[in-house]
Amino acid sequence: MLKDREMEQKLRNEARTLLEQGKVDWIIGFEAGSLKFSTTPLITKDKNDTERLVINPFIVNNLADFLTGIKGRVGIVVKGCDSRSIVSLIQDNKVVREDVVILGVPCTGLIDLSKVEKLTGKYRDELDDITRQGNKVTIRVNGQKKEFPATDVLFDHCLACELPTPKEYDILLGEPSSPIANPLAQESIEKLKQMTPEQRWGAWEKELSRCIRCYACRNVCPACFCQRCFVEETEPQWVFPAPRWQDNLMFQIIRNIHVAGRCTDCGECERACPVNIPLRSLTREMYDIVDELFQFKAGMDKDAPPLLTHYEEEEAEGIFR
Amino acid sequence: MIKWLDFMNPKADWEPKLVGFLCKWCSYAGADLAGTSRKKYPANMRVIKVPCSSRVDSLFILKALRLGFDGILVSGCHPGECHYQTGNYRARRRIAITKRFLEYLGVEPERIQASWVSASEGGKFADVVTEVTKGVKEVGPNRLFAERQGNGTKAKKRG
Repeated sequence: MLKDREMEQKLRNEARTLLEQGKVDWIIGFEAGSLKFSTTPLITKDKNDTERLVINPFIVNNLADFLTGIKGRVGIVVKGCDSRSIVSLIQDNKVVREDVVILGVPCTGLIDLSKVEKLTGKYRDELDDITRQGNKVTIRVNGQKKEFPATDVLFDHCLACELPTPKEYDILLGEPSSPIANPLAQESIEKLKQMTPEQRWGAWEKELSRCIRCYACRNVCPACFCQRCFVEETEPQWVFPAPRWQDNLMFQIIRNIHVAGRCTDCGECERACPVNIPLRSLTREMYDIVDELFQFKAGMDKDAPPLLTHYEEEEAEGIFR
Repeated sequence: MIKWLDFMNPKADWEPKLVGFLCKWCSYAGADLAGTSRKKYPANMRVIKVPCSSRVDSLFILKALRLGFDGILVSGCHPGECHYQTGNYRARRRIAITKRFLEYLGVEPERIQASWVSASEGGKFADVVTEVTKGVKEVGPNRLFAERQGNGTKAKKRG
């Protein structure tokens, strides 16, 4: 926690200096949210607002999503996964590198409050305190202390994280951290892979029949930057707008194909989903397919061409007759 | 057109319905050649002529499955022989990820097929269509997007 406090102070000073010197027009970061433990994005032009910036294990949002909708030079607070999203946007010419000042946060994994609730059997409001020291997370409820291994309460995508320290940054706010690489993260995908095709399709049918088509997964995704999404097309109408499982599934499949090579497995879609559809099982598999077929990892190299605009002369030949 | 889309009728003597996206410069000409040289191949495929294999969006493949087609073939020029220089290389990446992703979701791999057929390969075109039809026949009718009983979503019949 102390380390977070130090980083927080450094971030506030840096953000204030950037605004004062006119190096950036905007600062995008996190501030404390209205609910207990939660944080919410802070987008500001006012240098006094920088005192509200926070860094803690609950800074879940991928702020790169705001970059495509903002004009002017931006100072942005990023974790490892978000920095990859920014690099991916640079690759797609959506963001100019010189217009962004990246304030990198070396991330050690984010705490999933719904996992904490499940573990303790209490709502987040009833918890007194959550602290993290190394591989242990201490939760205080009603004066009692409970200790859990950190891997039990971290997000799945954090367990699978390959790049916790931002690769692309201007100012790094702390010491680089190392990836966790826990096999637990792939568990749900491995389980699906052991099923027969019919069972797998049936599983997705069941999951997607819950979908209410709020498009939160799309709106929260930094890789989903189309001006007009194909689901809103009416001529021709590719996908029926009513939340029917067939159309829900079609929407998810096409969305995943559209973000192939851009998706950095930041897990925002799954977190944003109001009906808890395990969307990361889709995005992560697409990430692995792209890596296996084309040795391409999204957002690793800002000078590399985007996946689907580029080709090698010999690749993926086994798929063609 | 609606008549041959009546995929909802379960027939005893079921024949698969396939859609083929053929590139104008190679595969479509190859299909022509197969016809003029009187090669025999199953008549299950409805052909759609596209300017280039890279014109085939993943949406086309999904929409065909959604409409109830049993199999999809995308065919273009051999690598390095594209009329637009690089179109088929791009198509290759797109189709490869689409096919692999749909396999992961539970679509039988036989349903989504791709091939390189040049304008002079009438024989190869006939062989490809025969093999694809045979493969799709083995996996059976496409019931992927069909309404099932008891899944809670009762869709109205769309005119």
